Amino acid sequence: MSARQMKLGLFLWATGHHIAAWRHPDAHVTAGIDIDHYIALARTAEAAKLDMIFCEDAAGLREANVNIASQTSRSIGFEPISLLSALAAQTERIGLVSTASTSYNEPYGLARTFASLDNLSGGRAGWNLVTSASPIEAANFGATGLRPHADRYARAREFATVITGLWNRRVAGHDGESFSVRDPLDIPPSPQGAPVMVQAGASDDGKDLAARTADVVFSAAQTFEEAKAFYDDLKGRLAAYGRQPDDVKIMPGVAPIVAATKAEAQAKYDALQELIPDDVGVALLSSYLSISDLGRYPIDGPLPELPESEGMKSRQALVIEQARRDGLSIRELARYFAGARGHWRIVGTAEQIADELQARFEGGAADGFNVMPSWFPGELDAFATLVVPELQRRGLFRKDYEGRTLREHLGLKRPV
Amino acid sequence: MHLAVSLDIASAAGKTSLTLAEIAGFVRKLETAGVDMVAISDSWPNGAPSTSPFEATTLVAALATFTEKIGLVASASTLMHQPYNLARRFASLDIISHGRIGWNATLRQNPREAANFSRPEGFSDDDFRRRAREFINIVRLLWVGWGRGALLFDKAAGRFHDPDKMHPLNHIGEFFSVRGPLNVARSPQDRPVLIMSGPAEADFDLASGAADVVLIEGQPSEALKVAVGELKRRAAAIGRKPETVKVLATMVLTSEPDADSLQALLESSGCDGFNFVLPADAPGLQSFTDRVLPELRRRGIAGQGQQGATLRDHLGLGTGGEQ
Repeated sequence: MSARQMKLGLFLWATGHHIAAWRHPDAHVTAGIDIDHYIALARTAEAAKLDMIFCEDAAGLREANVNIASQTSRSIGFEPISLLSALAAQTERIGLVSTASTSYNEPYGLARTFASLDNLSGGRAGWNLVTSASPIEAANFGATGLRPHADRYARAREFATVITGLWNRRVAGHDGESFSVRDPLDIPPSPQGAPVMVQAGASDDGKDLAARTADVVFSAAQTFEEAKAFYDDLKGRLAAYGRQPDDVKIMPGVAPIVAATKAEAQAKYDALQELIPDDVGVALLSSYLSISDLGRYPIDGPLPELPESEGMKSRQALVIEQARRDGLSIRELARYFAGARGHWRIVGTAEQIADELQARFEGGAADGFNVMPSWFPGELDAFATLVVPELQRRGLFRKDYEGRTLREHLGLKRPV
Repeated sequence: MHLAVSLDIASAAGKTSLTLAEIAGFVRKLETAGVDMVAISDSWPNGAPSTSPFEATTLVAALATFTEKIGLVASASTLMHQPYNLARRFASLDIISHGRIGWNATLRQNPREAANFSRPEGFSDDDFRRRAREFINIVRLLWVGWGRGALLFDKAAGRFHDPDKMHPLNHIGEFFSVRGPLNVARSPQDRPVLIMSGPAEADFDLASGAADVVLIEGQPSEALKVAVGELKRRAAAIGRKPETVKVLATMVLTSEPDADSLQALLESSGCDGFNFVLPADAPGLQSFTDRVLPELRRRGIAGQGQQGATLRDHLGLGTGGEQ
């Protein structure tokens, strides 16, 4: 048994992370309205001893263009806190992490909701703090325009201070810039003390907030060097807040396509790529680059020069760097990007995938990974039955849960 | 005759809170006994803190997976939520439960909520009422923003949904502006059942116009009778069938009720059934399921219960939406 083992999360997303996942012949196309589908996925992940399942969220449609949206499965799905509360009742050990925005919630309300999920699950809940940049979301909350980046983060910092204060019984009365709270939380703590704090922001403000408050950080990195740079940067910021490097687990996203042979895996990937309509791929890329219409540029030409956006600074830089490095056309980049949304894609056998994960884990670029199956349930089943046993054989991943709470799975201290 | 049970999990200080397994056990017993719905509240109207480890909407999601027929109602306040978030939560709960969800929209301003939700000054009664009305209307419209049959799931043609059946809301009002549509599919009941409890007279137009179920104090019986008549009259006046507004008499059970007087109240008031408020402790619940309910059923007061697959079916409410 190696002293240090990797942490693995399952990133759930309706029909799958590939933009055309829902069109795969074996994909469960009604995932967004079928609770039994999610219960089955959660149990697969739990049988594989994964640390947690993770739900993304946005308080609005993903895509403003209705014709593009109607060719994807992303306009409808479960609201994640109700989904995870149902899954809490149907699972025993696996952690349950949901995203919720500091932009369109109040800290007392989220503190209650997540504390309740934490109690329903016997101490397995986590909250992924996000700030909302999307104008689509803003339009559902009476906002006329987006606040500048720094302002969103000021609200998020205050939110994080208040919610952790409520969970850890430190606050009696808060009167700040964005929020006021009079009473202590009226929900008792769970066996893990307080929900696990997760973050994914990769901008400077985001990393700083994560270094202050996060227990787990999700990230996106294509290359080992990018992953390592992010890892060292974030861990290096911890000391300023009186924290140890091991207090925060950094888990980059990975989108594996696994099969018995490399050729078979590549064929699976190619078949999925063929299902992406060009207009959908380009629109998705436009949206992540926060520019209104990439479609007006020649699709077989290079990515145009782009201004820095207010919305998604770090992600934009990542995608642009990718295109320049590989000399990709808009079509090629769109397809490549649509496959894993800028996350790390590995296509290969279980051994090859385990090699790659091991290299980043042992090379000091990751504490674990947030696994993003291309389509459900097939690619999750493949990961659970092929890759997980290979990682276990190498002593890199647990064969059984050591504890009962998410903090215990992740090796995190109880909050003080 | 319809029967609801209200379970206030915000148990009094000093009492041991019920665990999830205990609550699930009682709800299953109520389900077996044919109760139409169980309503969960997690706050005290008088502003005292809850002592329960659970919040109502999350608890109801878990309970949905332990039950198959009984309706599940969660209280949620318009002060503690944004309409878009609340509409998503309940539509999602309705899908999880296969159409058994109700929202009990709190119509009274709880000073504790205002103080903890960045509204230390609260709202004037009038503002609170106008805001609640706008909030409830937004939620009801968001729930039917996706037309029936909007989801095509056509893999070969690459058409997941029909864009013409997705309707934005474009609401711009006094307190909220919400573009919509919801990013949760239309739910099995079209709209989760909307419940309003203890409306003041000033809320009667809202209740008779929007609510599916109105809970009114069972005592004094004369006031109950007047409220039932008034709610049904106002519903008819705006073109609703009066029988689509169900008025249930709320009875707080501290000891075993006198079945004769319950029967008399039912007949004299014209109400559609009862909402029994039970203490969230094991002996009180046990007494209700093992002694009170069998007696009510013997007399036919409890009716057959659970007449269909959804809570709307149980309550005889018909469809929850048009479009």
